[in-house]
Amino acid sequence: MECSIKPEAGYDLLQLSGEVDMHFSPELRETILDKIKDGSPLLIDMGNVSYIDSSGIASLVEGYQTAKTANLPFGLLNISGAAMQVLTLTRLDKIFSLYTNAEQFRQEL
Amino acid sequence: MSKTKKLLALQFPARSENMCSVRQKLREVLASYSDSETLTNCIVLAVGEACMNIIQHAYGKEEQGDIILEVEKRGEDMTFRLTDFAHHKTRAEQLKSRPLDEIRPGGLGCHIINEIMDDVQLVECKGDCGNVLQMKKCLHQQTESN
Repeated sequence: MECSIKPEAGYDLLQLSGEVDMHFSPELRETILDKIKDGSPLLIDMGNVSYIDSSGIASLVEGYQTAKTANLPFGLLNISGAAMQVLTLTRLDKIFSLYTNAEQFRQEL
Repeated sequence: MSKTKKLLALQFPARSENMCSVRQKLREVLASYSDSETLTNCIVLAVGEACMNIIQHAYGKEEQGDIILEVEKRGEDMTFRLTDFAHHKTRAEQLKSRPLDEIRPGGLGCHIINEIMDDVQLVECKGDCGNVLQMKKCLHQQTESN
């Protein structure tokens, strides 16, 4: 798994790629919660996520809930097929704000 | 009646850093029998979730040990058997899904396994093993997400 933060105008873009499993999900969780703590809206690009398990999904859910409590926008961008399968199985595709381009997210800020 | 064909028997330390290579080996086995990438992804996910449960809940922080992953095929049915050697005995109730309307982190692994696999059960241990989880999947069925 690789994750990097790219500051954009009005929000942070977290670019996530590779396999997000229980070995890497604590790092993802920490990165997400740190950015939310900074008070920044967060958009997570999941276009290059080849595998994500329930521990990775749990990091996203915790980020979503923490952002909601802090009244900060939190969205998922370009969900890969493999990641969408897991979101659909867990019915979280109906909970997260999903975007196909970053401009949609920016316009909602 | 078709014969049971053993496709994989892999023993590895129950540690999270090993799971990437275990998934890769499972993908290699499935590549010869599954013509659906979606189905392959789902099976790899379910087996990965079951391994994660063993690492986190059967062995936990206090204990270390191995997992044996066996894959067999009989006709269109595939069996995935996970054996651990933990002292903790997993109970059948622990394999149940939690309600999905509770939006909270964690607890989704069993739901994922039960959604993907056709049959999931703890089977009797032979010898000194801790738990044996057996999951079955027919290769001609598609999961709800497909």
